[in-house]
Amino acid sequence: MEPRTGTFTRRRLRPAVAALVAALCLFPFLYLLILSLVQEWSFPDVLPEVLSLDLWARVLGGPTALGGSFLLSLAISVGVATASTGAGYVTGKYIAYHPRRQVLLFLAYVPFIMSPVILGTCLMYLYIKADLTGSVLGVMLAQTMFAYGFSIVFFSAFWNTELRALEDLVYTLGGSPYQAYRRVLLPMSKGMLLICFFQTFLISWFQYGLTILIGAGKVQTLPVKVYEYIGEANIYYAALASCLLVLPPALLLWANKRFVFKQV
Amino acid sequence: MKTSGRRSSSSGRAAPGNSLGRAGLVLFVLMALLPILFSLGYAAAYSTGTIGLLSDGFTWEHWAAVGRRGELWSSFGLSLYIAFVTVVLTVSLALVLALYLRRPLGYGALSYIIYFPLALPATVAAFLVFQLFSGAGYASRILIRLGLIDGIDQFPGLVHDAFGIGIILAHLGLAVPFFILLFVEIYNTEKVAALAQVAQTLGARRRDVLYRVTVPILLTRCFTNIILLFIAVLGSYEIPLLLGRQAPQMVSVLTMRKYAMFDIAQKPEAFIVALLYTVLVLVLILVAFRKGRTAYGA
Repeated sequence: MEPRTGTFTRRRLRPAVAALVAALCLFPFLYLLILSLVQEWSFPDVLPEVLSLDLWARVLGGPTALGGSFLLSLAISVGVATASTGAGYVTGKYIAYHPRRQVLLFLAYVPFIMSPVILGTCLMYLYIKADLTGSVLGVMLAQTMFAYGFSIVFFSAFWNTELRALEDLVYTLGGSPYQAYRRVLLPMSKGMLLICFFQTFLISWFQYGLTILIGAGKVQTLPVKVYEYIGEANIYYAALASCLLVLPPALLLWANKRFVFKQV
Repeated sequence: MKTSGRRSSSSGRAAPGNSLGRAGLVLFVLMALLPILFSLGYAAAYSTGTIGLLSDGFTWEHWAAVGRRGELWSSFGLSLYIAFVTVVLTVSLALVLALYLRRPLGYGALSYIIYFPLALPATVAAFLVFQLFSGAGYASRILIRLGLIDGIDQFPGLVHDAFGIGIILAHLGLAVPFFILLFVEIYNTEKVAALAQVAQTLGARRRDVLYRVTVPILLTRCFTNIILLFIAVLGSYEIPLLLGRQAPQMVSVLTMRKYAMFDIAQKPEAFIVALLYTVLVLVLILVAFRKGRTAYGA
């Protein structure tokens, strides 16, 4: 048993530590938001002098480079997530039930865990030969390679004996593979498909190194824009681009928090 | 992320729905594995002078030159150091916070708020650390206001510093919330509270329960995730690109710099760094796999 005073102090301290952790989690979002509203902030002032919605109004008010980047990022990420989730779903199933699944799973880990920039450097020759550099299709293909690996690893843990038994039951009762997927497997996998779609969406949505390498700077996604603005020392635009990059996944994560760690 | 669910044993027999899966595997081999294999072969051939614009036939000269210069070793040294420190700090901090804040993380507002940092990409984390901890950053402004320093020159260098503190801080900001959530999840799914209760009933002290039951279970179950974090930090690009020094550079930044240089004589060196990194990562994945299988009793 520990002394009562120690326990008492620990209990009183816990809400304060929880509040501090919560503040640290929220601070980046608040700071980015404020930075995106700043018009003037001289050093060494702790608070900005002038806040304005001008930048936001400019981006939301009409066609801008940043708005275009947002839509391009969205299109690329949705495409990558759809392709890698769908392909990973069936490949993951095959690998999960395969007698050599450990070897196949190891191979699936390779594209998923390797540094995209380092692997991308080695892949550049192929992309140049296939005339895919500097194109949206090239960026999507390269990102899908990494997201596909993740998707396989994700789904290979999902398929289990229960699902296998259910599928076998459909065939025993005279059902076809189409019916097994349509009536049993897909409805049971709906939640996992959503999570995988979300995670692969994020893999693509956050990707910078591979995009700048394969896209050759011509495919201007949001992360590319953030670095471009930082390079120009345009920190208020960089903050605005960061807000656009961070807010949609933050809201989605918050809405789907209960799914995030299910079998992942 | 590492999967936490146990997998079933398989019979490996063919099922009617297997053709789609087989097609998926073929697609994966064609789309991912073959290009990677080809690319690594290309990198190996380029680094030994077999192909490429400077090709003069097979030679180990590029490898010998890289070995002599020391830039490669300092780059790997820095990357390994940053990955190691990040992993140790992440696991320690997350473990302490997950156990200490288990209740608020389970029910309170914190149980929602803790998910927000997962939405931060490395690009934004690097930008934030730069904004907060550079000489004219927000931390410096606060210290000046508090009268603790007089100007930028007195602010300790946390960005572009020799010890990679800025890089480590950015990685911690991304990894600690994830590991807190992971530990809490493992704590619940593995019924650690019940096991701790049993240990206490059998006469174990609180300290023994913590060090002989709770912490070993949590660390064993997330060992693969720890290795994956190490690999992710080792190969990170966006964060050291913005927060790191010009020399030495982390492996990804060094590879990209050498590859993108106008001096094509540097290209073989880029491929050498890439190949050494690949070998290191493959060894680490193998270790993670073997340990993971042991941990799951497979």
